[in-house]
Amino acid sequence: MPRFQAACTLMLAGALALGGCKLVKTEDEQRQAAAGAFNPDKLVADIWDAKVVPYLDGRAGAFQEVSALTATDLSAAAEKYGHKEKQGNAPWTFAARIDGVIVGEETKSRAAYVDVDVDGDSKADVRVSIGPAIRGTALRDSLKFVNFNEFKNQIEWAQYGKSFNTYVNGALLEKLPREGLTGKKIKATGAYPLPAKGQLPQFVPATLTVGG
Amino acid sequence: MRVTRRLITVGFAAVLAASAAMPAFAADLIAIITPSHDNPFFKAEAVGAEAKAKELGYETLVLVHDDDANKQSQLIDTAIGRGAKAIILDNAGSEASIAAVKKAKDAGVPSFLIDREINATGVAVSQIVSNNYQGAQLGAEEFVRLMGEKGNYVELLGREADLNAGIRSKGYHDVIDEYPEMKIVAQQSANWSQTEGYSKMETILQANPDIQGVIAGNDTMAMGAIAALQAAGRKDVIVVGFDGSNDVRDSINAGGIKATVMQPAYAQAQLAVTQAHEYITTGKAPAEEKQLMDCVLITADNADKLETFALSE
Repeated sequence: MPRFQAACTLMLAGALALGGCKLVKTEDEQRQAAAGAFNPDKLVADIWDAKVVPYLDGRAGAFQEVSALTATDLSAAAEKYGHKEKQGNAPWTFAARIDGVIVGEETKSRAAYVDVDVDGDSKADVRVSIGPAIRGTALRDSLKFVNFNEFKNQIEWAQYGKSFNTYVNGALLEKLPREGLTGKKIKATGAYPLPAKGQLPQFVPATLTVGG
Repeated sequence: MRVTRRLITVGFAAVLAASAAMPAFAADLIAIITPSHDNPFFKAEAVGAEAKAKELGYETLVLVHDDDANKQSQLIDTAIGRGAKAIILDNAGSEASIAAVKKAKDAGVPSFLIDREINATGVAVSQIVSNNYQGAQLGAEEFVRLMGEKGNYVELLGREADLNAGIRSKGYHDVIDEYPEMKIVAQQSANWSQTEGYSKMETILQANPDIQGVIAGNDTMAMGAIAALQAAGRKDVIVVGFDGSNDVRDSINAGGIKATVMQPAYAQAQLAVTQAHEYITTGKAPAEEKQLMDCVLITADNADKLETFALSE
């Protein structure tokens, strides 16, 4: 007990910036408190409605516009719709809104998806993941306010990325019908990494409605 | 102008004053410390860093710590003693290396980490980290696809003491375990070794002849596994590796191993030297300390473009 008091005194004297022994709820301290028991699912759930969805809503452009701009002027597209870690070699990830018609579906795979036509030519322009297995970490990578440098290491950063996919599965995708999707209308807001040449963009939704 | 720049450099870091006052940087030394060059991956790092350092006019001191934290600590002392201006380090352990890097920092020698990260920030100037986890997920996604999302498979793990063995295995399972019809029938360490990969595969195959796939934590173990499978006449078994070595490229092209994941060893070592040079000459650190380097999936489609851990355009 005396030792504890001494420690408190020391902390108060030496590190007022830490807030002494009193717990102050800031995001940083919550993260530090969680460091003992890193809980990425909770971190994502805590920011989903308040930050993630509003951010993507505000940032996203119509898929046709985003896609056209990435083809003609990548840095302008990146400035307007994109995000990536400041350094390293990750590709740009773009926020976009899809409004189109489902022209193809793969629902036998666990990594299920629908192909969507957005410009009315009946050809697939973008592939939308519908889970339960979602490839990549597009949602995490589209967000300006999350950063690898705030995580202990690449494992926690990766688990955090996966938690976005887990969240989307629980909130949206599990409820989605798995049959007769082709021909239906689809609206979604989400993100996709810059695709390799000749490949369909792999879009992960954060909001989604299918019907009609 | 030159004088002004020198003054600014002095202002930025007093410890660099001595070198800043010298007329040229030609005699400055950069130490390059990695694990053993027996693994071509680490050799590519050392070669890449050395080539870039020489191009920028530095002398180099190339050393190997053999994944021994004590030896690494001695090598850091050597680099400090020799008056190195920077250390390029692929470290010998995410916890054990923190003290060694701090020791160099306290002696005024900045460290630039490559490949593996340490569990601390603010000690090294930069950490250019191979994204092993992302790479493992890429490899696992391709493995699952090749397996048709079902079947019995074997996992060969790297040396358990090595953090990357765990990271890769975790990345594999985060993907594969989402497919309930993928069944793991054996999981053993072959210690990154080709000969152990061969002998472990031989034994596993005798006990579990009904397997459709093998996923290995690195390329050398994958090479051992494919040799054992071929010796047993099992050319139907899908093998996937990790690293992107030229050996596996050749195996892919010959229809043996099906896929691997390339880590940009050469490029990230060169990037570290470029950042060290920037720091030595201007005092400017990169915008972010930790920088992730993503891996690239290698299959029959792009294997031709792979050479010494780099993909040509």
